[in-house]
Amino acid sequence: MLLPLSLLTLSLSSLFLFTFSRPLSQGFSNSTINLDDSLVYLWPLPSHFTFGDDTLSVDPDLSLSLAGVGGNSPILTEAFQRYLKIIFKHNSRVSGDNLRGGLIYDIGELKITVNSDDETLQLGVDEGYSLSIARTDGYSVIGKAQIEANSVYGALRGLETFSQLCYFNYESKTVEVYKAPWYIRDEPRFAYRGLLLDTSRHYLPIDVIKQIIDSMSFAKLNVLHWHIIDEESFPLEVPMYPNLWNGAYTKLERYTVGDAHDIVNYAKLRGINVMAEVDVPGHAESWGHGYPDLWPSSSCREPLDVSKNFTFDVVSGILTEMRKIFPFELFHLGGDEVNTDCWSSTPHVEQWLQDQNMTTKDAYQYFVLRAQEIAISKNWTPVNWEETFNTFSSNLNPLTVVHNWWGPGVCPKAVAKGFRCIYSNQGVWYLDHLDVPWEDVYNAEPIEGINDISKQELVLGGEVCMWGETADASDIQQTIWPRAAAAAERLWSRKEATAAINHTLVTLPRLQYFRCLLARRGVPAAPVTNRYARNPPRGAGSCYEQ
Amino acid sequence: RFVEMELGGPRCAGLVLLLLLISCGQGRGADPINIWPMPKSVTSGKQTLLLSNDFVLNTQGSKYPDSSGILKDGFSRFLQVLRASHVADSNSSYSSAHFPVCKGLHVVILSPNDKLQYGVDESYKLSVTALGAVYAYLEANTVYGALHGLQTFSQLCHFNFKARVFEVRQAPWTIIDQPRFSYRGLLIDTSRHYQPLIMIKNVIDSMAYTKLNVLHWHIVDTQSFPLEIPSYPKLWNGAYSTSERYTMADAAEIVRHDHFLLTRGINVLAEIDVPGHTQSWGIGYPSLWPSTDCQQPLDVSNEFTFKVIDGILSDFSKVFNYSFVHLGGDEVNTKTAFRLKKKGLNESEAYQYFVLRSQEIALSHGYDIVNWEETFNNFGSKLSRKTVVHNWIGSGVAERVVAAGLRCIVSNQDKWYLDHLDTTWQEFYMNEPLTNITNPKQQELVIGGEVCMWGEHIDGSDIEQTIWPRAAAAAERLWTPYDKLAKDPRRVTGRLAHFRCLLNERGVPAAPLNGPGRVAPEEPGSCYKQ
Repeated sequence: MLLPLSLLTLSLSSLFLFTFSRPLSQGFSNSTINLDDSLVYLWPLPSHFTFGDDTLSVDPDLSLSLAGVGGNSPILTEAFQRYLKIIFKHNSRVSGDNLRGGLIYDIGELKITVNSDDETLQLGVDEGYSLSIARTDGYSVIGKAQIEANSVYGALRGLETFSQLCYFNYESKTVEVYKAPWYIRDEPRFAYRGLLLDTSRHYLPIDVIKQIIDSMSFAKLNVLHWHIIDEESFPLEVPMYPNLWNGAYTKLERYTVGDAHDIVNYAKLRGINVMAEVDVPGHAESWGHGYPDLWPSSSCREPLDVSKNFTFDVVSGILTEMRKIFPFELFHLGGDEVNTDCWSSTPHVEQWLQDQNMTTKDAYQYFVLRAQEIAISKNWTPVNWEETFNTFSSNLNPLTVVHNWWGPGVCPKAVAKGFRCIYSNQGVWYLDHLDVPWEDVYNAEPIEGINDISKQELVLGGEVCMWGETADASDIQQTIWPRAAAAAERLWSRKEATAAINHTLVTLPRLQYFRCLLARRGVPAAPVTNRYARNPPRGAGSCYEQ
Repeated sequence: RFVEMELGGPRCAGLVLLLLLISCGQGRGADPINIWPMPKSVTSGKQTLLLSNDFVLNTQGSKYPDSSGILKDGFSRFLQVLRASHVADSNSSYSSAHFPVCKGLHVVILSPNDKLQYGVDESYKLSVTALGAVYAYLEANTVYGALHGLQTFSQLCHFNFKARVFEVRQAPWTIIDQPRFSYRGLLIDTSRHYQPLIMIKNVIDSMAYTKLNVLHWHIVDTQSFPLEIPSYPKLWNGAYSTSERYTMADAAEIVRHDHFLLTRGINVLAEIDVPGHTQSWGIGYPSLWPSTDCQQPLDVSNEFTFKVIDGILSDFSKVFNYSFVHLGGDEVNTKTAFRLKKKGLNESEAYQYFVLRSQEIALSHGYDIVNWEETFNNFGSKLSRKTVVHNWIGSGVAERVVAAGLRCIVSNQDKWYLDHLDTTWQEFYMNEPLTNITNPKQQELVIGGEVCMWGEHIDGSDIEQTIWPRAAAAAERLWTPYDKLAKDPRRVTGRLAHFRCLLNERGVPAAPLNGPGRVAPEEPGSCYKQ
């Protein structure tokens, strides 16, 4: 049963005025940090919730009960095991002592109901859920936490929220839920909430990519945009063209097809889609190490040689192979920063342009549209960087999703022409820009400048981009976090709940709390208040103040 | 003989050449043996064998019952680490046709005892032959030697991108190995910043990869007191916040209950630093402060102070079962404190009185003592003969300590303090603990060395990249026989870069070699060149 809406009407004022009986920092001197009891330490903030002033203990042997036609899913049982490790990470059982002295815990069971057994993970999959955590009502002996969702992926989001409400009480050595009873009904504001990883500028080991996927699920991000290849290196195996990954940095810095499958499956178990990118025709120099014919000439190596059919055979071959790996309906074809000088300066390409009666700009359009057709023929929806829209919008396939990056104002133009759009304005959502503080990330607004509601709906969401020039396995996570979390709340939570409040008093301590939560889960998220991203803490102190 | 049979004719000679070229290409001109730290003795060949996909542990003939599962855990972690790097979905038609298959690892341990203690035998012998379908063979006196052997073996295993299985190249291998020093430490500081449990475990895992064997846990300091002390339950009121704390059960899980450290062969050296660096103690018990406006060193005149120390060490002794406890004793500013008149002591006498009395308490709980070098510098002749002096201020201290007949741990800050970001890995590598100590009896008194990760600017977000790869450079100095250490660090650059990339592959965010500590990569490029 979904919770009645009347129970869940959010009163914004209740967010700040509520007090409750059990201060989190009881008995501590003034010199230590006190969490502000009036704040809700959930990140991202759910769309509807109410809470009370009760404290409930959670059984370390918390059991799982599954219901609904979709309840019997290994995705759920695996996720439950993962979250048990997160929730009960402190050892609450010392050498067999029963610290509760035989007392019964308030919450003994987590019941998850999933109303559909369709486990297809597609754009717009229902990620909504309701969560209630309440003391026993007199009819049953043991209190329950209950999650109800229409899809397993909604249930995963509910599990994440549940885990964020569980605190370890260091005095009683038990896990407790404060401010119970909780009634939450939640759903994302945008269907597309992405993070870009770039494995061409630096190879990212598979274990590191998996760590990042885990951390994305903590912030309810749901698309890993895998910018696999660029001019610097080509790390992925393509069986039809087995020399392509000769363009890897070294033989050891490569992904097999099996590795890529492994990543896609790992992400799916966490409700995250992988959107692969093959950026053409620029950013492709590394392709030619295996097949030099793809270069206009050995001295002028990109964009890809537009004059040869072989080029499109290779593009088609790559997409054929990738289609077997990446089930997500969106596929990114790049199309950015194309400098066509090599085309005009290489005799055989220049001759071809003349024969076709094309300018270099025409040829750029020709290349992008032909690549789009290949993608569409494989039942993919093409995503292209905004230059394609900026240069020849009227000829783009109407299915195209325009990926903004240059600056503000692009999504309004794209949706005005009926295209869908992903927002990644580099001034605020490029994580490699180390000088962008968390507030600017947080205050970015994907639908800025779009007033027509039907047009707003064409903005699928947004994405923070972790370009890899100076990010490798050693520093990528602290460059991503905590700023990506600021964007994640913008993309998940209701606009009214995240705007028009005093961010220093309300949002900052919540984000600091979430950053410490990431740290406690092993994610090396950097201090929130540093002037530059990924800098060390400025001095000794509590995580919650840095 | 096998080589002749398989690769006899002229066509096959060409294949050998090809294989050599491939392996040279992968080595990229670096040291062809990529093991870190370098073992005592290594011989290798030119053959390749593939690891079976159901690679097994065989303990036939081993005297060690493994009732606590230390070896089994170590072996399954070895498999996990390999399998996390790539998916082994073997292309069987390719594999067994070309190369012999290694079915598993045969481990023979000669001692049934698995007490992990200072000086435990860490030696092992590893051989990987390429004759027929075989087991690799690992022999060790203790399970802890076997764990080191497993680490070495894991570094011999590489993913074969053609066969989609793991392989050992350069077989046959014969490795005979043992550490140069028994104490190979890394200090972490959980007072300046709290480190979540999982971060501590991550650090311990990566220590095992480089064969470090002591985690020196500087638990408490001026800024915060994060650990639960059941005898004095208000002490951890000095934590930064309610959630930045460790229960004794957390500590026990790290040390003992979960066998977390046992399965990695690593000891914990717990420290309470007295009488300075203790302001946080008084948040829970203000009478430990000389006064509310003068809050450290601990009040030497108050008997309660020593009762608390006794309580702490009593609680420690139930959990921290290493031979040593660290009592600090550094940077004591006595100007601020001390009601000394009734004892007739001056300030430096009171400092000595405090340290010696704390030593007696530690001895009464069965510990040997480690103290920072100031205690030796000020009243070395009065220290318990069981004291190990922990050098930090500069060079030349170890010489004087061993000349006085005491044991020493070397951590001179100019070379082995990881918080000094401008100290390069080359300097870490070249720092020699036995500098100017030539008498073999005195050399034996240097039990090892330690790199120190002080926490003023270190939290969960940057601890690992500040530690690695520089701590690995020191780890080789402490493990590898002196004669096998490079006299010029440039000779090990390629091998260390390889090890740094291996750490990355295992999910450890070790920083690039090019530049100071914790540097970001300067530009796009291969891990092996940065």
